[in-house]
Amino acid sequence: MLRTVILMRELVRMYIRTKVEYPGAMVLGWVSQFVSYGAVYTAIALIIARFGMLGGWTWSDMAMLLSVHLLTYSVGASFSFTQFREMEDLVRQGTMDAILVKPIGTWLYMVFSGFNIGYAGHVVLAVGLMAWAITQVDVAWSLPTVLFLVATLVSGAMVVCALMTMIGATALVWVRSRHLYSIFFGFWELARYPITIFPLPIQVLLLAVVPMGFISTVPVAVLLGKPVPLLGDFAGLACLLAGPVMAGLAMLHWRWCLRNYQGAGG
Amino acid sequence: MSAIIEVSGVAKTFRQPKRLPGMGGALRSLFSRQFTEVRAVQDVSFTIAPGEAVGYLGPNGAGKSTMIKMMTGILVPSAGTLSVLGREPHAHRMTNAAEIGVVFGQRSQLWWDLPVRDSFDLHRHIYEVPEARFAENLAFLTSMLGMADYLDRPVRQLSLGQRMRAEIAMALLHDPKILFLDEPTIGLDVVAKDAVRKFLARINRERGTTIILTTHDLQDIEEICPRLIMVDDGKLLFDGELPRLRSALGSRRRLRLEFGTDPGPINLTTARLVTDDGAAKHFLLDSEDTSILDVLTELGNGYDLKDVTLEEPAIEEVIRTFYQSKPQLAATTP
Ligand SMILES: Nc1ncnc2c1ncn2[C@@H]1O[C@H](COP(=O)(O)OP(=O)(O)OP(=O)(O)O)[C@@H](O)[C@H]1O
Ligand SMILES: [Mg+2]
Repeated sequence: MLRTVILMRELVRMYIRTKVEYPGAMVLGWVSQFVSYGAVYTAIALIIARFGMLGGWTWSDMAMLLSVHLLTYSVGASFSFTQFREMEDLVRQGTMDAILVKPIGTWLYMVFSGFNIGYAGHVVLAVGLMAWAITQVDVAWSLPTVLFLVATLVSGAMVVCALMTMIGATALVWVRSRHLYSIFFGFWELARYPITIFPLPIQVLLLAVVPMGFISTVPVAVLLGKPVPLLGDFAGLACLLAGPVMAGLAMLHWRWCLRNYQGAGG
Repeated sequence: MSAIIEVSGVAKTFRQPKRLPGMGGALRSLFSRQFTEVRAVQDVSFTIAPGEAVGYLGPNGAGKSTMIKMMTGILVPSAGTLSVLGREPHAHRMTNAAEIGVVFGQRSQLWWDLPVRDSFDLHRHIYEVPEARFAENLAFLTSMLGMADYLDRPVRQLSLGQRMRAEIAMALLHDPKILFLDEPTIGLDVVAKDAVRKFLARINRERGTTIILTTHDLQDIEEICPRLIMVDDGKLLFDGELPRLRSALGSRRRLRLEFGTDPGPINLTTARLVTDDGAAKHFLLDSEDTSILDVLTELGNGYDLKDVTLEEPAIEEVIRTFYQSKPQLAATTP
């Protein structure tokens, strides 16, 4: 265990050092993240300012939703996105083979050797927005609600990380899997809005197929006491379970893919 | 001595979904159950004892890398049994990994943007090498491979030869019992190849590290590996020592006889005439047991013989004949 922790620290340190080799690119990345999220959030704010509400959600409700959405995503993605997006190349170029001959868990190695501090910009933005939203929304904050928020943030981050892992693992068998990320991001964008504004088929997809609803819109609805379609009273429990369940599925899928890994020729 | 690697009846078949043409085809091929099968390794068996150095040779696509990947736990064999250090490599991938070193000639395991030393340090953590032992190994390898000049330079700035030496050094930092190398000399110039070969031979001799390397370069095998395993098309063709391969092929030594004046046609039973340039004649010695003396005795004294040269066949030639005649020879392999 201690060894694993030391190793993770070493891996993250290595990765950070490779990034500071190119400081300009890192800073530019952070700036562009701020700008692009700023633009999206401004657009949503403008719509609400025009119509007053979005599916029964006020601007402060929406701010809470957007901050949870961004925080679960950026935490989950810092453990997974860039790492597993590269998986296809790792397989094709045979770099994966080199990782597989190390006496260390392949998933752990992948995750920590590419731990993306680039998401720091996202996290700062999300935490700032959340701090403001917490004071604005109509929630009687207490220990249970705070614990629920924290637990769902963790669970949501796990959902993100699990889905990314599954897509990456698929590359082990299919070699190509990057196109699946566009499906991920399609649903990810939908998870930015109250789930009630969507037609039933999309709700089903968001809750059961690509369960991205659990990274933001469902937990925030539960927190704000708004109705959740299909799940009703089970929504709160479902939010807490979504992360661990998806992580379990991702682990099974990962193992299966490793067993069926064929590598690339050469 | 008991075997460190046992390979018995191992096969590997790659299955790829059949690609159908066009967009619709791409979609359909996702769901179709049609596969193209590539039989990369077929019914290969051999055992390797501790301390051996074995060259794994074969043309492109012969299944060399695939075999290395199975022995290192990357791929699961489709059939047969495989045991490395008493374990099934894929089932015990991580335990196996701790005791072996692997070098891929065509892909780097070093961190591209960081100094060589940083990759080595991380390696120490991953393999839990005790600090003192690590320092000792690093000093030894650095001096043996002449890496002192570039240990602190980013990997991306190194020449291929420098990088390959660093890769090999890294694979040895944790004192592996077996070192697998997949084409370690590919792309290196003569000098770098020579350095790598001398080094590997020495590691094998002095540390007793078992070495298994794949190569296209026969000189690698001549200089490092007393034992040769030859494969083609997934199948094992030959397993044994290089001289045995020569003799298994009837060796085909070439004898050149040069005369002062053209003696006209000569027919001998001990040697077969292959080219006749008048005063210079080339013979092939088909039997290993024939000596030059036998030929000269048969020739007798009636000729104005000026010079005699005997040429051992070049190893390339031996191999070429081997590939050409492999159907008959398969029977002579153990
Ligand atoms: N992942 C894969 N999927 C499908 N076929 C593969 C795969 N990997 C290897 N093959 C095929 O298996 C056969 C053996 O390949 P392998 O890489 O083991 O050959 P090799 O002896 O290492 O050749 P080379 O000297 O070119 O490196 C080849 O026909 C190759 O096309
Ligand atoms: Mg190969």
